[in-house]
Amino acid sequence: MKQFFFLVLVIIQLSLTAQTTIYGKVTDSKGVPIAGANVYLDGTYDGTATAKNGKFSFTTEEKGQQTLIVSFISFETFYTTTIVKNLSNLQIKLRDDVNTLDAVTVNAGSFKAGENAKVTALKPLDIVTTAGAMGDFIGALQTLPGTSNVAEDGRLFVRGGDAEETQIFVDGMRVFTPYSPTANNIPTRGRLSPFLFKGITFSTGGYSAEYGQALSSVLLLNSIDEPEENKTDISLMTVGLGVGNTQKWKNNSLSINASYINLKPYQELYPDSNEWHKPVQSLGGEAVYRHKINDNGLLKLYGAFSAVTFDVTQEDINTEEGTRFGMKNRNLYFNASYKDFLPNDWSVQTGVSFANDYSDIDIVSNNVKDTESAAHFKVKLSKFYSSRFRLNFGSEYFMTNFKEDYITDTNENYNFDFNTNIAASFVEANIFFSKKLAANIGLRGEYASLFNDFTVSPRVSVAYKSGANSQVSLAYGQFYQNPKNDYLKFNTDFSAENTSHLIANYQYVKNKQIFRAEAYYKDYNHLVKYNTEQPLQTSNYSNSGSGFAKGLDLFWRDNKSIKNTEYWVSYSYLDTERDYKNYPTKATPSFASQHNASLVIKHFITNLKSQVGLSYNFASGRNYTDPNKNDFLSSKAKNYNAVNANWAYLISQQKILYFSVSNVFGTQNVNGYQFKNQANTNGVFESRTIRPAADRFFFVGFFWTISETKKDNQLDNL
Amino acid sequence: MHNQPKVMIFDETINSNIKFNKMKKIALLLAFVCVATISAQTPYEKGMTKAFELWKSNESTKAIQMFERISNVEKDNWLPPYYAATVEIISAFEIKDETVLTAKLNKAKSFLDIADTLSKNNPEILMSYALLNTAYIAFDGQKYGMILSGKNVAIYNKALAIVPNNPRVVLGKAEWDMGAAKFFGQPLEPFCKDVKKAIELFKKEEQTIKFYPYSGLGRANEILEKCEKKSSQN
Repeated sequence: MKQFFFLVLVIIQLSLTAQTTIYGKVTDSKGVPIAGANVYLDGTYDGTATAKNGKFSFTTEEKGQQTLIVSFISFETFYTTTIVKNLSNLQIKLRDDVNTLDAVTVNAGSFKAGENAKVTALKPLDIVTTAGAMGDFIGALQTLPGTSNVAEDGRLFVRGGDAEETQIFVDGMRVFTPYSPTANNIPTRGRLSPFLFKGITFSTGGYSAEYGQALSSVLLLNSIDEPEENKTDISLMTVGLGVGNTQKWKNNSLSINASYINLKPYQELYPDSNEWHKPVQSLGGEAVYRHKINDNGLLKLYGAFSAVTFDVTQEDINTEEGTRFGMKNRNLYFNASYKDFLPNDWSVQTGVSFANDYSDIDIVSNNVKDTESAAHFKVKLSKFYSSRFRLNFGSEYFMTNFKEDYITDTNENYNFDFNTNIAASFVEANIFFSKKLAANIGLRGEYASLFNDFTVSPRVSVAYKSGANSQVSLAYGQFYQNPKNDYLKFNTDFSAENTSHLIANYQYVKNKQIFRAEAYYKDYNHLVKYNTEQPLQTSNYSNSGSGFAKGLDLFWRDNKSIKNTEYWVSYSYLDTERDYKNYPTKATPSFASQHNASLVIKHFITNLKSQVGLSYNFASGRNYTDPNKNDFLSSKAKNYNAVNANWAYLISQQKILYFSVSNVFGTQNVNGYQFKNQANTNGVFESRTIRPAADRFFFVGFFWTISETKKDNQLDNL
Repeated sequence: MHNQPKVMIFDETINSNIKFNKMKKIALLLAFVCVATISAQTPYEKGMTKAFELWKSNESTKAIQMFERISNVEKDNWLPPYYAATVEIISAFEIKDETVLTAKLNKAKSFLDIADTLSKNNPEILMSYALLNTAYIAFDGQKYGMILSGKNVAIYNKALAIVPNNPRVVLGKAEWDMGAAKFFGQPLEPFCKDVKKAIELFKKEEQTIKFYPYSGLGRANEILEKCEKKSSQN
């Protein structure tokens, strides 16, 4: 009896404590033991942490099929499901998590700014507080290497390409007319206001197969998903005024802003070399509506309207009274995008953008009316197989209709119009072979209906982490773009223009310091050529042009060495020649300068509640043709130099006073030369120097934000 | 000491085992043991208690791992992932290496997201989201300050709208506002009042849910002390 009960007791005890010991060792992919990894059975309290030698051992009373989980920071979580008693003497290798800050990034050709970038060449605020940029994000990007300073134009000229070779996208959708119209020799500004964007990727080459119709560069802007609070912004500036309001509800938000710019008062105080009959006046408004659908879906509707007028007479060596140029432009842009997550790790992104641009231009006594309507439709699907493999593919369609109505001084009327439709599809794989080696491999096909042309562009980009703080990357790609409207309105017997990019990049990032060096070679083919002084209906056109651009871009940013100071330096060396347009021979175009350099410094003075900024821009002289020399594009203008300064002073948390001066020292820069059409009696073509309309530009602004929390200000608006 | 009763019962069982003639009693005791273990402490309570002990004895990593394991069992309870995240965030404030910092905070965020799906608009979870942003701002104010401080203001406003009398929300907002006021050289008095209000709310708070993050009174007192010192100097 006693023995029986004893036995019962033992059995009970045993069954209560019938335990299996789970044990093994956890290492990284190279076999180095991982200490402190969390090892446990899913859905139970049984588990432990690994010891210094990576070994672990724990007991469980669980039976049958169980899932063992091993998790450790910076590694992918390991799962295995099997019968408990098989969980012994385990050798578990954890794979590196490729989503960490020290993992390699495929970055050849591109600069990132904004919150999601691992390595930020520009911070969100830099976009708008760079001295000399005058609140235009395009201006801030021109302090990055790979861009050429073309002071009289203001648009982005990238690596020997002209401004039309760069395309701008908002939330993946094309912006068709990103720049405000201006007169000759007056730099333009971007139409989009910078504070709508949370992230910017500026690619100077070798970009993803998702983007086409750009020979040199793409600028990708991501708009804000969700504003933080309700607020009203008021800006009073020497050039005009602006007002904005944001309203936020549970799943929706609406931001609207309007601005009125009139340069008249400024020009009366500081007259420039132009004779303004009507100074630049512009009225603009933007609205963004965001709507959250379920948990992850987000619909964004963005609309912008602007109207610009001016009338000016500019100096011209061929006519004593000068050339009169009048402009009335109105521009409408609409962009709708939707993104959502689908089941099974799929996600979808789709959108439509539409632009309508109308210009009524008077040149001397000729009148030109241009209307461009364009639309872009796109759908993109992504499948997230794992953090190491992701597949994106999609299709898009571009439609452009262009109409020109030209009335000469003798009342002759000419009409031109064309439709061009482009269909494109792309596929791209993002692959991480390990934390050290990653690649993007893509393919893009495009079909242009106007001239029945089909192109295929392969794009490959590989990055390898060469040291704890350094990495090297290589990129190769083919890029196609349709000839521009100026030619298509006269002729449609073309094929797409083409470049190939080859890029090698080295990057070193350590402790708030970034060094980048990038060498590239671009080969241009099928460039448009014509045989008259201007492209005309009667010109002969062909795609027989070609060219090359090669160079080296250097960038250094340091946020650490000097207290309260950040600075960056960039230098670009460019060697380019092309035979296109009506060039008689291969030559360096007049927009390309061999050396470009920028230095930008920002210093925070906390007890003055101020940020002061300085920037210096240098560009070596650009080529021009001197008819007295009987040589094409072989003379060089003088170097460009400008020092710019700004000062932002926070009066209180919501009031900011902002001062900015461009070209502080009033350096007399030269934009080029204009020669007489006819030689004088001595056989000499007289010339005049084309100089900026004004050497300096002053700007004073007062920005006031009214919000419930009294915390927000317009610092990121400047 | 939650473990104590159980240990005592087991000791008694062992003692009783020697006395074979008291078998009935043993059987009863055995039954009682089972019942006692269940009623005294569930594995959840045991696990949570263990995790808090580890945290108290500066074994943050082990505490986080314990909370992680518990959250894999208690799939409907927001507290384990909330603590896994919050302990991770607090320990991230000492980190000097940005790679480690972002790895820790990314992990913390994934736990907070789990907690958030289990308990929507929970003010305590919102406070941890704000703390996570603060960890980034404290690491590099120039890089993260501009974007994340706006987000934090929004979080505090949202939480305050949901629970205007939650002492931790009132205190968190006051602390945040004091930081901004200090930078602009503005008086701190109005925020000292908020801290006082938080202290009163702390004292009134009914502590009914086990393992709920009721803490914060100590910190509030510390801040008030500093606050009063500053104000008396002026």
